[in-house]
Amino acid sequence: MSPNTREILQVSGLPPEAVKLSRIWEWFVVAAVALLFMGAIHLHVMLTVGDWDMFVDWKDRQFWVLVVPVSMLMIPAALQAVFWHYFRLPIGMTLGAVLLLIATWITRIFGWHIWGYFPFTMGVPSTILAGAMACDAILLIVRSSLLTSTFGGFVFALLFYPSNWPSLAAYFLPVEHQGMVASVADMIGYVYPRSGTPEYIRLIERGTLRTYEGSTVWVSTFFAGIICIFMHMIWWRIGLAFSTQRFVATSKRFRHFMGLADAVHPASKA
Amino acid sequence: MRASPCMPGHIFHALIAVLLCSQALPAGAHGERAQEPYLRTRTAHWYDVKWSVDKLAVNDTVTVTGRFRLFHDWPDAVRPPETVFVSNATPGPVFARVDSSLNGVPARQSFRDLQIGRDYEYKMVLKGRVPGRYHVHPMIAVKGSGPLVGPGRWIEVTGNQADFAFPMTAISGENIENLETWGVSTAVKWHLILLGVAVLWILWWIRRPLLIPRYLALKKEREDLLTTNVDLGVAIGLLVVTVALSFGGYAWARSHYPRTVPLQAGTMYTAPLPAQPKVVDIRFKEARYDVPGRSMRMVFEVTNVSDKPLRLGEFATASIRFVNQHLPAAKANVAPGYPQDIVARTGLAIADDSEIKPGETRTMRIDATDAAWEIERLTSFLTDVDSKFGGLLFFFDTQGNRYIAEVGGPILPVFKKSV
Repeated sequence: MSPNTREILQVSGLPPEAVKLSRIWEWFVVAAVALLFMGAIHLHVMLTVGDWDMFVDWKDRQFWVLVVPVSMLMIPAALQAVFWHYFRLPIGMTLGAVLLLIATWITRIFGWHIWGYFPFTMGVPSTILAGAMACDAILLIVRSSLLTSTFGGFVFALLFYPSNWPSLAAYFLPVEHQGMVASVADMIGYVYPRSGTPEYIRLIERGTLRTYEGSTVWVSTFFAGIICIFMHMIWWRIGLAFSTQRFVATSKRFRHFMGLADAVHPASKA
Repeated sequence: MRASPCMPGHIFHALIAVLLCSQALPAGAHGERAQEPYLRTRTAHWYDVKWSVDKLAVNDTVTVTGRFRLFHDWPDAVRPPETVFVSNATPGPVFARVDSSLNGVPARQSFRDLQIGRDYEYKMVLKGRVPGRYHVHPMIAVKGSGPLVGPGRWIEVTGNQADFAFPMTAISGENIENLETWGVSTAVKWHLILLGVAVLWILWWIRRPLLIPRYLALKKEREDLLTTNVDLGVAIGLLVVTVALSFGGYAWARSHYPRTVPLQAGTMYTAPLPAQPKVVDIRFKEARYDVPGRSMRMVFEVTNVSDKPLRLGEFATASIRFVNQHLPAAKANVAPGYPQDIVARTGLAIADDSEIKPGETRTMRIDATDAAWEIERLTSFLTDVDSKFGGLLFFFDTQGNRYIAEVGGPILPVFKKSV
């Protein structure tokens, strides 16, 4: 045990037995909370940016780099607020990103590959790990939610595309198919039919940012960074709001209605 | 729930357990009968559908060809076919799509501006991937309305899925040995590297007292104890590492795959097939569906505007074919191996089946009777908000040439037997 740890335990005022028990209790909490947030973050991402993260042929230069980091930042930012505000632990976003990536691979393996017959190539997921770690590090350096949102939120989005390109670049090689050029990702979407997901349903770059030549992805990244600043601010406060415990004064009648108090008899009043 | 007196509780529970534990059969087809009748009788009418084989091994191909007519009385509830994707309906990617076309134009991307009232010809080549027996349909998906499914045929895929491979070669020269696995190991390794750094960062913190002691120390305003200068140094190191990893990884990917292209997203266009010469004028009179008799009776007026005698050979709607069994050309028009469950066994009953002479106008009465109306769940047009139907009439001349005309209109139910 380091001197710093010893001092923390001393300051906390916990007797040795309570320290031991609290450590065991912490592991139970970590296990339960990890599973809970794994499901919550994954569900949130599937509901808000599902197809962009599920399918390799949705990972375009315009919308994927914009909407995915914005959505994936939300619950990790709330977790970051909770861990920092109550425990001064700068691990909330990293933890959220780790849980999300694990949950995503579990669904890709069991849901998409084993159950739905899709190859792994169809569902290589995006990750926010790099941006999340950078944002946690910035929080510890600047020790301010406002500055973390300003710099951390922006860096979070900035790192999204470069940190995903090593795992996805192979899917954007050009191939020829029926006399037309296609990316490998386009071909994967075409070769493995999704009856309910026709090609036109993809919300992807249609050439509207043509004036930026090949820099579409960085224009979108910059825009995502701006949005992530504000999104981080909002979700930081949502995290704090939902982790606050308040006691609300209630009437005797209400407590009786809830079964928490004795009945109020008119006769006894008299 | 209480078990009945004649069935002891433990037997009842055992039965429930057996039911719960028994393996559910996988779905072979995929709910095409759930589509409303107005979708199946008044949008795309599929004809000349052929499947090249009904059994193939993994890695072998089946070719699905055919045509569809976009019905003139297109339902209000369905968006017009302004953007359409030609596809196949199968239970998941059990087949790999090798190529497809519409009127000979590649159909990897969607088509724009298909014309109502006109015909289109499609082709798709599918490669067996997952062993099993599957219902394979041609299908078009219309933007704003969803899939319109054609007739299905059971096709069996034999062999081992592990043998499946889809090799390609990139224009830039890379050999993609298998589209199933291409790039996956790189993605997994990269995610593990990032995950490793993240886990180290988390472990750095959770190796120490985690929640309660830190919370109590913070309440006592001893924040100074909770994060140290060493922690700050580690955080700065983490920031440097993550930025370096991200841009270093990006530079590696750029050098490894210098030539990449964005997702391809344009739409395609093809003119419809040339229109057939008009040989008949059809005036719809009335149609009734006899619920107990499972029979659709239709009356329409037909004028032969051609210079040759014609006979009615077939009425087709919602992929169900009612064929005039007394006309050899019509019977020959049903390809060998065509799914018999959607060819009415009783055929098409025609009140006056004699030739319609050139210039003649005749009121025709036809009965299309078969249990398929119920099996294919088409009788729910009686409860639709738009109780109309439509179909194709196939006329044949004495040479066996086929001419297609459309017919359709309101339909009335008959709930009682007339005799």
